[in-house]
Formats: sequence, C-alpha cells, structure tokens
Amino acid sequence: MKFDMDYIAHNNELTETNPYFKLFLTAILLIVTLALDNLYFDVFIFVVMSIVILAIAKVNYKSYLKFLSLPMAFLVITCIFLIFFFGKGDVIYETGIFGIVVTTDSWHYGVYTFMRVMGCLPCLGFLALTTPIAKILHCLGRLKVPKIMIEIGLLMYNTIFIFLNEIDTMQKAQDSRLGYHSYFTSFKSLGALSSTIFLRSLDKSETLQNSLDSRGYSGELPVYEPRKVR
Amino acid sequence: MHIMEGYLPLTWCIIWFIISFAVVAFGIYQIKKIVDETPESKALLAVSGAFMFILSSLKLPSVTGSCSHPCGNGLGAALFGPAVTAVLATIVLLFQALLLAHGGLTTLGANIFSMGIVGPFVAWIVYKGLTKANIASTIAIFFAAFLGDLLTYVATSFQLAFAFPAPTFSEALVKFLVIFAVTQVPLAIGEGILTVIIWDRLKAYKPKLLDKLGALAPNEA
Repeated sequence: MKFDMDYIAHNNELTETNPYFKLFLTAILLIVTLALDNLYFDVFIFVVMSIVILAIAKVNYKSYLKFLSLPMAFLVITCIFLIFFFGKGDVIYETGIFGIVVTTDSWHYGVYTFMRVMGCLPCLGFLALTTPIAKILHCLGRLKVPKIMIEIGLLMYNTIFIFLNEIDTMQKAQDSRLGYHSYFTSFKSLGALSSTIFLRSLDKSETLQNSLDSRGYSGELPVYEPRKVR
Repeated sequence: MHIMEGYLPLTWCIIWFIISFAVVAFGIYQIKKIVDETPESKALLAVSGAFMFILSSLKLPSVTGSCSHPCGNGLGAALFGPAVTAVLATIVLLFQALLLAHGGLTTLGANIFSMGIVGPFVAWIVYKGLTKANIASTIAIFFAAFLGDLLTYVATSFQLAFAFPAPTFSEALVKFLVIFAVTQVPLAIGEGILTVIIWDRLKAYKPKLLDKLGALAPNEA
C-alpha cells in the first residue's frame, strides 16, 4: 500500500551496493550542499543525483516523481510565503494588495531555501530509494549507535508490516459498514481502529517476546548476509 | 508537519542535533535500565514504537479539508514517560524520513526536538499534574494530547523563526505561530478526542497494564 518506497528500496539496481558507501555518500553530500548554500551547486546536485537514481539505480520515474511531489507541494507554499511576507530591505516588487511587497531580503530567503531543499531531496531519495531500512540499521549499529536502539528499531520495522495488513482488513471492514460515512463516525471508527490495534499489539508483543525467548534470543538478531554473486 | 530535508541552514541543523542528542542519550540510558529490570519490556517498547509510526501514517479527518495525522506523542508520554518516548520518536522520525519522505535526515535533530522532546514533555507534565490534582485520567489525557500536539507546533514555529529571523526574530515568530500553531488548534482537538477514545478502551480492557506502568490517576488505581 503506502510503503512503495520500501518495495523500491528492495528492488533496484543499487540494492546490493555497499550500504556504508551509500550512507556516507548521502551524509557528505547533504552536509556539503547545506554548507555551500550555493544556487548553482544545488542545481548540480539535483541533476546528478536524479540521474543516479533514475539511470543507475533504475528507479521507475513515476515513483521518483511521486517521491518528490509529496514534499514539493509543501515546499512551494512555504517558499511563496517566505517571499511575500518576510524580510526587509529594498522593495523589488509591489503586489498592490494590502501593501504586500517582495524585498531583496525575502527574495533571497525564499529562493535560497527553495533551491537548498531541491538539492537535498534527491540526496535523501538516493538513500531512501536504494537502501533497505534493515541494512541502514545494521550499518548504524556498526557505527556505535547503541545496540538497544538498533534492536528496537529492527523489531519495530518488522512489526509495522504486520500491523499494515491488519489495518487494511479492519479499515475495509469499517468502510463497508459506512464507518467513514460522516465526520463523526469517521472519528469513532478511527478511535476504535487505533485502540484495537494497540490492544492487539500488546498481545503481539507478548507472543513475539515468547517466540524470541524460546529461540534463545540474547539481544541480537543475527541476519544472514549473502555473499555477492557476480 | 515536519521540517523537511534541507529547509534549515547547517548551523541550526547542528545546534538542534546537539540538544536532541543529550535528551535521547538519557532516554537510551533509561530504556537500558528498564530492559535490565524486565527483559520482556523490549518487545513492548518496539511494538509501541511501531504503533506510534502506524498512528502517524493514518489520516486524521480535519475540518479545514486538509489532512493531518495524529502524533501519538501524548499517549506515549503518558504511558512511558518523556525520555523513553523521545527515543521511540527518534526511530519513528528516521523511519518516516526513509519510508514516507516525511521530514529529513539533516533536519532530524530539529524534528526530534519539537516532536520527540517538547511535545511528550509537555504532555507528560500536563498529565501528571492533572492526575495529581485528582482529575479523572480521561480528562487529563485529553489535555495532555491536546497541549502536547499544540506545543509541538509552537516549538516548530520557534525553530523556524530562529532560522529565518526576518525582519526581526519576534515578528517572524508571530508569523510562523499564526501559520503553524493557530491552524493546528482544530487538529490538536481532534488528536485529543482520538486519544480519549483510545484511552477509554485501554482502561476498559487492560487496566492492570496501565496500573503496572503507573499511568493511572491515583484515585483510579
């Protein structure tokens, strides 16, 4: 359903590439893009990373556009807002409505912020669309992020997908009984849905713990890492 | 609404990372203590984190026509306390960035501060304060969730005003407050009502668990 990004991360040409390399590349690119804060560099990064995602990782261009479009809508609104309502300095353009003006300052803020986000988004996309979460968590674990956090993260990741199926079933059941018919009923349905999931999740956690314990769980989930076949 | 990737300048990204790091580190220390005492609580924490993530991916119907989602902050804070919730929120925010393109990696520190630290902390104080004053936990949880949600967005406004202090910090703050916090009021009420519904069911079906976590009001325990 919603998590097509997870599916893409598992099914692209760069899935098997060294995750450390991808993690470091993303981190460095993000920091450099933020530190330089240069319009041309932002465009450059945007183009390069888009090419990497589309041509090398061979991610479907529709999925990539969908990935970009979600933050983009919000970005456009906030940047228009920054341009028209902020800043002081010389007036470049007068709209003539309520004395709203564009000033050099606000123009600078709006444009730079817009371009910065445009530069950073494909970097995030590069990591998110080519690397499965489990691999990222394993990398972080090796990089001295506390073990307990990684463990909880991995267990959480597994549980999320179990929940998704249940929610899907429940929501369909509620919907077919007009559970989302009006504003009031949708609130009631959503409340019933969330509390049921929470109660179920408690049972699940008990079962999970028992099954882990009975298989000798000592705080580590060893995962088989297949050797690359060339 | 999370601050998105690349929205903040580098200096502010680093500042928020440092502040959040301290609190999250304390939260991890606390989780370690809890897990050492009762090893079976690890699965409970993981599943609650997953619940927070799922809750934040559900669409909350909102009056204004826009869609927002509940954060689950208030519930988490009332059940586990603010420090543990901060750690869970950190993982949830990381997952949201990587699975839903919601938020980002460079702004992770800032988002942890507003959603994982300010929100739960306010909710926890409100909840504990109200239950101490002998107010029924159902009413207390409403205000905890409502204020926790609202203050999250107030914190976000502060963060944005720090990053874009134009023309002055206070003027920018007022503008950001108007967009983020005021529009958030109906959504926060929505989250409050939703949390109350969840809380009622929890109290009806799992009173022992709530008691064990020390989350019930003194007169209800």
